[in-house]
Amino acid sequence: MNGNPTNVFEKVVDFVDERVGLKTIQAKMLNEPVPGGSRWAYAFGSCLLFIFIMQVVTGILLMFYYVPSTDHAYASTQYIIHEVDYGWFLLSYHFWGSSAMVVMVFAHMSQVFLWGAYKKPRELIWLVGLALFGLVMAFGFTGYLLPWDQRAYWATVVGVEIMDKTPVVGDFLSRFLKGGPTPGQMTLSRFFVIHVMILPAALMGLAGLHLFLFRKAGPAGPFRGTPEQIKAKTDYFFPRQVWKDIVAMATVFLIICTLTFIEPVTLLEEATPDPGDYHPEPEWYFLFLFQMLRLKIFAGEFGQFLGAVAIPGAFLGFLAALPFLDRSPERNIFKRPIALIGWIAIMAVILIFTVSAILNREFLD
Amino acid sequence: MQPKIKAKARCADGEVGSISKVIVDPLSLEISHVVVREGGGRGVDRQVPIGQVQEIPNEEEIILRGSLEEFRTFPVLDREAYVTHHDVEIAHLEDRLHVEPGEILVPSPRLEQGVPRRSFFMNMTHAIGTLITLPLVFPVLKYIMKPMYKPFDNSWFSVGNVRKIRKENIGYQFKFTRGFKEAFMPEQQIEKNIWVVKATPEVQKAVYGGKDKKFYDHKGELVWVNKAKAPYIGYSGKCPHLGCGYKWRRTKNFPDGVFLCPCHLSIYDEAGKVLDGPAPRPLDVLPMQVNAAGEVQIIDVEYKAGVKGQIRLL
Repeated sequence: MNGNPTNVFEKVVDFVDERVGLKTIQAKMLNEPVPGGSRWAYAFGSCLLFIFIMQVVTGILLMFYYVPSTDHAYASTQYIIHEVDYGWFLLSYHFWGSSAMVVMVFAHMSQVFLWGAYKKPRELIWLVGLALFGLVMAFGFTGYLLPWDQRAYWATVVGVEIMDKTPVVGDFLSRFLKGGPTPGQMTLSRFFVIHVMILPAALMGLAGLHLFLFRKAGPAGPFRGTPEQIKAKTDYFFPRQVWKDIVAMATVFLIICTLTFIEPVTLLEEATPDPGDYHPEPEWYFLFLFQMLRLKIFAGEFGQFLGAVAIPGAFLGFLAALPFLDRSPERNIFKRPIALIGWIAIMAVILIFTVSAILNREFLD
Repeated sequence: MQPKIKAKARCADGEVGSISKVIVDPLSLEISHVVVREGGGRGVDRQVPIGQVQEIPNEEEIILRGSLEEFRTFPVLDREAYVTHHDVEIAHLEDRLHVEPGEILVPSPRLEQGVPRRSFFMNMTHAIGTLITLPLVFPVLKYIMKPMYKPFDNSWFSVGNVRKIRKENIGYQFKFTRGFKEAFMPEQQIEKNIWVVKATPEVQKAVYGGKDKKFYDHKGELVWVNKAKAPYIGYSGKCPHLGCGYKWRRTKNFPDGVFLCPCHLSIYDEAGKVLDGPAPRPLDVLPMQVNAAGEVQIIDVEYKAGVKGQIRLL
């Protein structure tokens, strides 16, 4: 406590501070030296936190009207879109927010990879980050079914069939998710509880761990510059980095709102095992995988296992092993040619397959 | 050895004061300066670079380079330019510094003194926790698994009349609605579809290989036999690749028409044979009967997609 509090507000603040230690917590939160100074490139993590909080808020609001049963899910979602005041906005914001989450996870992981920030002593931050990436994908997959329209139904049918190809546990896993041999009420109930209870709890826990480990190890800082140069540019997290973060968050918010206004969510026909004229397709961030599975090399039972399970699994396994395989302390991306070429190659593959999936649509119509 | 707070600071020609603070570089986590308070504790704080420390013979004193005269040229500490380590978050700072003036002690409770077998209590705590958890595993697993494995439904469904089929070796879609009862839910009507081909003898041969096709239930008992020479063949509407719904299409490469799945572009001929694309097996033939009036009835069988063999799910 400093001096004599003069007004009621200060008295209340001092009362709480004495019991909680708020000022120390605030100082610890804000006064973290950022080696080499604040950067726009460091804003991705904060943006993810912001997007997640907005998903929680909009998600909770959607649950005021949504009913997770096969005979009401579609109607209640339509009710949110067409009848409830601003329902279309909240639902569309939640929809575009999920896309923004995936984009931002990509940006965040790329930044950490290119900056070499996964290296010792930050291996565990990277591993927890990968788990968080998995959770974000699981959020996208489970949330997609909830409106119970044709798009939702068929993405789930194919997605669960893919999981079924996992060795040993695949059949159990797909039955566990479907709650039976085919998708129905049990599937919807299970996806709902996973989407609104299990994944948020897991994400909050792991994101907390991610931040704790990050604070424990400290920020990595830029990958070039002498210690003197880095020291000369060092500042605290507050105010410069916090300012960049809040500007980035506001930009993300505006982009999501813009998409929400330009392209609000509309539903297709209610889900049924007869696809009619609908050509099933996953959400855009899974399109590259979808297109890959069309390739001849992934034909047949083994090819399919390769394309749907083995290669994505091996890639994630490789990412998890990365900080332990790549032990060189060199962080400058321009002195890590394999890492740079690898990153460009993977981005190119994803881009090419996504674009060709989009081009294929016309061929089908 | 690191300089200690309260240690006396000496120059070549005499004592100058005592260390009142140390300054740490937040990036290297090394001590960069010592702050020496002149005289007996009332003088000014001077900031001395660590390089000016010649020697630290013991915890009580440090020896600075140069004379008293030179010591007075060091700048006075600008306290406003610094914060204490309690006000910032610098990872591992405390681990690297040993500048506390001494240990801070608190007495341990009397009951804790000389308690034997602390590890025994620790292990017992874990053991009891495990004993609480273990009996829950099986009930929870059974609870979750309740709807996962269902007996097959071998009842017949009417799907339409073959009189609408005019041409041979062409896929005709038959839509049908069937009741679907799940757990506590009221029975729901769901729409499904199958494909029927009026097959020429060559196509019949391609599908059945001249042999009757037998269908069994989960106990291995015979449910139905499709005759090898039956002219109408029904295919499950589920693509054997990954379970999408396929369609009959005429394309540039296949002007007579093929079954094409829009998901992953598997292509099958009228006998269900894979012509192109990633599918691991031909289309699934359904148990089907056609009565004298042309009414088609099927058993709504579904197999697991994505595998070579047929593993029945439904």
